[in-house]
Amino acid sequence: MPIQDKGPQGSRKRVTRRQFLHRAGWAGVGAAALSAVPRRAGAQGASPYPEWVSPSTKPPKRGGTLTRASAWDPPVLDPRLTQSVGLFQFAGLTSNRLVRYVFPDEASGPGDMGLKGDLAESWSASPDHRVWTFKLRQGVKWQNVPPLNGRELTSADIKYCFEAYAKEGVQTFNFREIEGIETPDKYTVRLHMQTPNVFVAHALAEPISVIFSREVLEEDGDLKKRCIGTGPFILKEHTRKVKVVLQRNPDYYDKGRPYLDEYVILITPDDATRKAAFRTGQTDFIWMASPSEVETIRKTNPNAVVQAYHNTAVFFGLAMSQDKPPFNDVRVRRALAMAIDRQKQVDTVFEGHGVLGWGVPYIYYQDKAPTAAQFGPWWQYKPAEAKKLLGEAGYPNGFSTTLFYYEYWPQMTSQVQLVQAELKKNLNIDVKITKMDYTTYYGRYVDPKWEGLAWGFQSGHAVGLDERTYQYMHSKSTKNFFRMNDAQIDELTIKLRQTPDPKEQRVITKKIVDREFDQVLRLWMPYDNGFMVFQPHMRNGAAIALRRTDSYGSPQIARVWLDK
Amino acid sequence: MYKYVLRRVLLAVPVLLLSSLIVFGLMRVMPGDALTVLMAESGNIGEKELQKLRKDLRLDLPYHEQYLLWLWQMVSLRPGDSLLTGERISTSLWKAIPVTLELTALAMVLGLAIAVPIGVLSATRQDTTSDYAGRMVAVSGLSFPDFWLGTLVITFAAIWFKWIPPIGYVSFWESPTRNLQQFLLPAAVLGFRLSAATMRMTRSTVLEVLREDYVRTAWAKGLGGRIVVYKHALKNALIPVVTVIGGQLGVLLAGAVVIETIFALPGMGRLTVEAILYRDYPVVQTNVMLVAATLVTLNLVVDMTYAWLDPRIRYR
Repeated sequence: MPIQDKGPQGSRKRVTRRQFLHRAGWAGVGAAALSAVPRRAGAQGASPYPEWVSPSTKPPKRGGTLTRASAWDPPVLDPRLTQSVGLFQFAGLTSNRLVRYVFPDEASGPGDMGLKGDLAESWSASPDHRVWTFKLRQGVKWQNVPPLNGRELTSADIKYCFEAYAKEGVQTFNFREIEGIETPDKYTVRLHMQTPNVFVAHALAEPISVIFSREVLEEDGDLKKRCIGTGPFILKEHTRKVKVVLQRNPDYYDKGRPYLDEYVILITPDDATRKAAFRTGQTDFIWMASPSEVETIRKTNPNAVVQAYHNTAVFFGLAMSQDKPPFNDVRVRRALAMAIDRQKQVDTVFEGHGVLGWGVPYIYYQDKAPTAAQFGPWWQYKPAEAKKLLGEAGYPNGFSTTLFYYEYWPQMTSQVQLVQAELKKNLNIDVKITKMDYTTYYGRYVDPKWEGLAWGFQSGHAVGLDERTYQYMHSKSTKNFFRMNDAQIDELTIKLRQTPDPKEQRVITKKIVDREFDQVLRLWMPYDNGFMVFQPHMRNGAAIALRRTDSYGSPQIARVWLDK
Repeated sequence: MYKYVLRRVLLAVPVLLLSSLIVFGLMRVMPGDALTVLMAESGNIGEKELQKLRKDLRLDLPYHEQYLLWLWQMVSLRPGDSLLTGERISTSLWKAIPVTLELTALAMVLGLAIAVPIGVLSATRQDTTSDYAGRMVAVSGLSFPDFWLGTLVITFAAIWFKWIPPIGYVSFWESPTRNLQQFLLPAAVLGFRLSAATMRMTRSTVLEVLREDYVRTAWAKGLGGRIVVYKHALKNALIPVVTVIGGQLGVLLAGAVVIETIFALPGMGRLTVEAILYRDYPVVQTNVMLVAATLVTLNLVVDMTYAWLDPRIRYR
């Protein structure tokens, strides 16, 4: 099936369009210009919307309240205890990190993964990448709220925070890689790593690596109730199940920013209500999954600005208990991969606006999204060959297995059922599906004892290359949810974190990806691209690859302004 | 009468104890716990850390000890803290109960305002166009699910009127106007749903009562239609209606979770469902016990109301 010809990754058209967008320089001239952008046909499915909304070139206006309806409510405010999107949809606004990824108004495009200093003005690594030195900005103040009362941030704060992360909570695995921390002066932090790691700065730029205050932890014993940092916004109110209100921090180190007076997140669990709120202007931006949803909204809000989000990473796939028969046989895994028509899922479930699925973001090893052909021979839909291969593996009459999943969104159930039907039809594999509630699913999935199949995930709170390779793929990593155990992958992922040259990193990453696809270690499934939809007066809110403005990419709200 | 009430109150004790055992047992049977949720998608926590956190939250105690500890907390009116948020359960309830009470009260008022007049009208004009229309409304109310009606109302309000209730709950005391705007639509949807059963019950009982001898006598005496229907027939027809209303009140207080979710109201329903999903044992257990106690009380109140409505009924 020639899916590379008609697939959503029609790179030729996409590049042409991008070139056109850049050359035309339309971006940044405001909503009126945006609405006049020519619609593209065919590329990325049938979406007529641009993948990138460039920042406005107008001088920003100060003031106003930005409002968003969110499905997520933070369980607690303690970044040591959760990596929930509920918390990190705003924690990156109350607090800073040492380093950060570029904001939309600094980015060259949605795939820009460049680093900028946040609390650190500069940073450097020793030649062996075991010692990292960060020079802090001088004069950065904690928010003027008791018990901090606007005192200056120093290197001791960073040391305390990192040591607390290493001591307990969900980030211990990462922070225990730090062997020791030195603070030679008030503005210098030196990290001694246990092993060489070229990605330390990237890890510290992740949205979850926020710097919290020593005083709050010492006074309260935890950080569950107060969230005080050095960030552009002060947490004014968090009423559970109602709202989060963030107020402009007048003492923010980046003078003149943020532009907004307030950012309000209304906790709104129902999808229809979130859309109705956007329609009636109660909220300023919203995430939508499918082209038809966007079209429906645009009937009542024709001036809404739409960004067709382009996923460079996919977070869901079929996880196989590959340490046990029959999935420990690579021929079985390959047969499964060839028996599932993933393009059909893109065309039907995601209305043509989706990607075929891959684990490591392609921007780390190539410029364009991979075509179906690049996945290799085992990822083409060839039911007859799949059947033959399964027979060679000793299962000519198929077998019975189980699959458990949690429905993250309604389309997922359709995907699961399509997989079930195709495995039965093409390989005579009987798949018994169990749909679970989240807690049951999660508890079962992360405990490496389950058998059969699971609709597996890799989480989205961190997007760096190390996170997507070593952390998720190395056999000894606690995030190795897909239960991979491949000596080559282990070796390559360790080599990658010791390779400083970006070009060489791309080569190694490609080898990792090729090996993964060849051995079908994770059977990635199609994923939606989705859309960010903005009110016409919202500026600089575009989502960058891997970091949606409404979730872990929230720190970029610091650059958003309202043109009204 | 007092003896009867006392007996009912004493009988409530084993009912509540049994409820406590059931809810405690069911929560422990469910796989996963609050820590699983708290750590969700991190994958970076070791077994040692998990054990420590479990100990901190007393989830490592044997079940019987956990049960007795919780029972003591309930009896001493100190239900403890949420495992997930660390917030005092009494504080969570203090926030959620007024929301649910307001929604329930408004829905009840609206529901009764629709149900009783239409029910009576249907009965007094049996098999006429008004009756058919009333019955159609009642059947619609019974047939349309909450989630469908709520979603439809909020979506079409946005499309047709460019208006939906302001999101972000505000208490009545903070801003009465905004608060009523927030509750109007959800109460109407819920009220419509509630009115259906009440309307049907009112219609059938009024029809039955209208055929009684004393009503015929009232007509024969030459009394006006309204007096016959509202003074003589309706009061006697209300006993089964009160039973229905009592049952509905219990359901509403237990949580109109769908409506609360659609209209983003932070009431008891959302609190309980979220706690179940997150395996927040103490919150679920406390909420269920509160609902059980409310239902027991409501049943008693309904029984008492019978006596008020029909002086022939006496409790001993």
